[in-house]
Amino acid sequence: MSDSDNDHAHAQPVLRASVHDISYLTTLLRGVSFANRATITATGSGFTVTVEEARTLLATAYIFADIFDEYAYHSEAAPSQQSQDDGVDNMAFEIPLNTLIECLNIFGTAGAHPSSTTLGGKRWKKQEEDKGSDEEEGEGEGANNKRRGIAQYFGAGPEKSTGMRLTYEGAGFPLTLLIAEDADGPTTACEIVTYDPEPHLDLQFKPDEMILKIILKSSWLRDALSELDPSCDKLTFIGNPPPDGVPPATSGRPSRNAEVSRGTSTSKPMLRIHADGAFGSTEMDYPNDRDVLETFECEQNVCFSYRTSHITRAIRALQNSTKTSLRIDSEGLMSMQFLMPSPSFKSRAGADAFIEFRCLPLEEAL
Amino acid sequence: MRFRTSISSPQTFFRIIQAIEKLQKKCIIKFSDAEMRVICNNDANEGGIQVWSVIKVDSIFTNYRIQSNANNEITMLLTAEALLSALKSASTTAETADGDDVVLKLAKKNDQAVLCFEINGTTRLGKSMRVSHDVKIEVMKPTDVASLKEPMCPDPDVHILLPPLQKLRTVVERLKPMSDVLAVSASHSGSLKLSISTDSVKLDTEWRNCTIPKMTREPTDKDGENEPDPGKHFPVLVSTRSFLKFLNSHVVSTTTIACICQRHCMILYVYVGDYADAGGVLTFYIPAIIDGDD
Repeated sequence: MSDSDNDHAHAQPVLRASVHDISYLTTLLRGVSFANRATITATGSGFTVTVEEARTLLATAYIFADIFDEYAYHSEAAPSQQSQDDGVDNMAFEIPLNTLIECLNIFGTAGAHPSSTTLGGKRWKKQEEDKGSDEEEGEGEGANNKRRGIAQYFGAGPEKSTGMRLTYEGAGFPLTLLIAEDADGPTTACEIVTYDPEPHLDLQFKPDEMILKIILKSSWLRDALSELDPSCDKLTFIGNPPPDGVPPATSGRPSRNAEVSRGTSTSKPMLRIHADGAFGSTEMDYPNDRDVLETFECEQNVCFSYRTSHITRAIRALQNSTKTSLRIDSEGLMSMQFLMPSPSFKSRAGADAFIEFRCLPLEEAL
Repeated sequence: MRFRTSISSPQTFFRIIQAIEKLQKKCIIKFSDAEMRVICNNDANEGGIQVWSVIKVDSIFTNYRIQSNANNEITMLLTAEALLSALKSASTTAETADGDDVVLKLAKKNDQAVLCFEINGTTRLGKSMRVSHDVKIEVMKPTDVASLKEPMCPDPDVHILLPPLQKLRTVVERLKPMSDVLAVSASHSGSLKLSISTDSVKLDTEWRNCTIPKMTREPTDKDGENEPDPGKHFPVLVSTRSFLKFLNSHVVSTTTIACICQRHCMILYVYVGDYADAGGVLTFYIPAIIDGDD
């Protein structure tokens, strides 16, 4: 890394990032790893990983620069001037995603997402420790160097994390990773071939024409999807507007309208997932309860069908997600956004990454 | 031909067989006065990996008695899986408090030679019970035994003490879906590398500061003439699957020394028990894959 002060702007790698614990990054990548070829689009504020299936399903993981200890993006196009306009300036390339995940997990340490609550204190120390070792890059603030340098001797907790440094020189170059478990352990260097990006499916969700919007706990949706019989090939999402003037039922609050509301909600559930399979059909109704559906916006009856195999691709992302926002627009395009909680050492807002799945509906032949 | 012994350490015996069980269906066991040799030499198995092991009788058996016309040696061919299940039941049911809980003897039942395991144990309720396993064997003729030859190898280019096999296994398991061929290389400065190179990925995992064992018999005649360059790596290409099979021996290993004979093979000595007074050694031979541009 001695070339960081070179005169030529493009001597700097397009993308350079390092992180002291790869488990969160791997969790995010696994969430979209249902197809091998993925497009990584890097910008100054982070990068996205996009995977597509059958010209119908598009999954994108939004990974922000905050989750990295170090993140540097240098545009190839713009010569060394300040190019901070994140909106336009980006650089895309394709990689074999499964290979990337296997490489990151080379020491078997990227498996489970660590339970962020119990590790809070140690995690913070680990981060300090890693910053300390990063300073050989000459990017640290001089005053803090010594203190952090000492801190790393105290911070070595018993739990292990695997650190990673990632470099992408630019189009035509491989993605290089340097992975190490701890200072005296083994190190892995790998070069993953990159390809020129293929254009992706353009699925624009039209927020103006949104006809259904639901926010719910991810586990409610995950449980429903994992219950499905594998023979079901069609999944129908049915939404009905909440009965007029009836507030969502809250448990333990008797009201005059209670009976009415219960009556209507059983006949017309606000959200129903209907699956048709070879051996019968399954219906799952979500009650009109704020504990279940945190937000429910629906003006008219909504009914769209999707291929089950596409929707269930989201299960892996759902497993590590806390909240899901599910939206459908007037053409039936479904957008599911899964909030992926980060290990809690940075409490800055917007640090949580998320994964989005967009899926086209089946052509209805009713 | 007589053979009768108590198994004082069924757990160790079980692990040794467990380490080689995946290699091939049948294995050869040769009992002699002081040693038990377990041999897997079938060329037909995947990757051509061979195992020749020597286990000291004292480390597994007590009250060991053997008698035969062939120099007091008995060599038999048997199914590794059947042996493994007998040993499993021996190591779980027997208490091994005194050395007489598991008795192993050669017997003939209905004209079929068997290795008979008699296991005395106690049930969970404290009642004593007796379990008996017969493992069918085929006693080998002395002429066939004489034709068993350990593979010949040139002097290795480098010896190196491997990191814990469990750790190596984790890494190799990730590499297996990516590449069928694995390059193992080591240098005299104690660096060990596992590398793969395919169309889509090049990967190197390196362990530094591995111990280089002191060899007792150094090739003295050539000394000084070509002192090996400490930084030079000696690579060998092996089948990833074969290497992973060798790594199954992590159940029994404490110390493993790898030797690399460039463009020829890789030899791995897995020490059973402590390195200093090892109860035995499992020697794995993994042939090199000869690459066109090597």
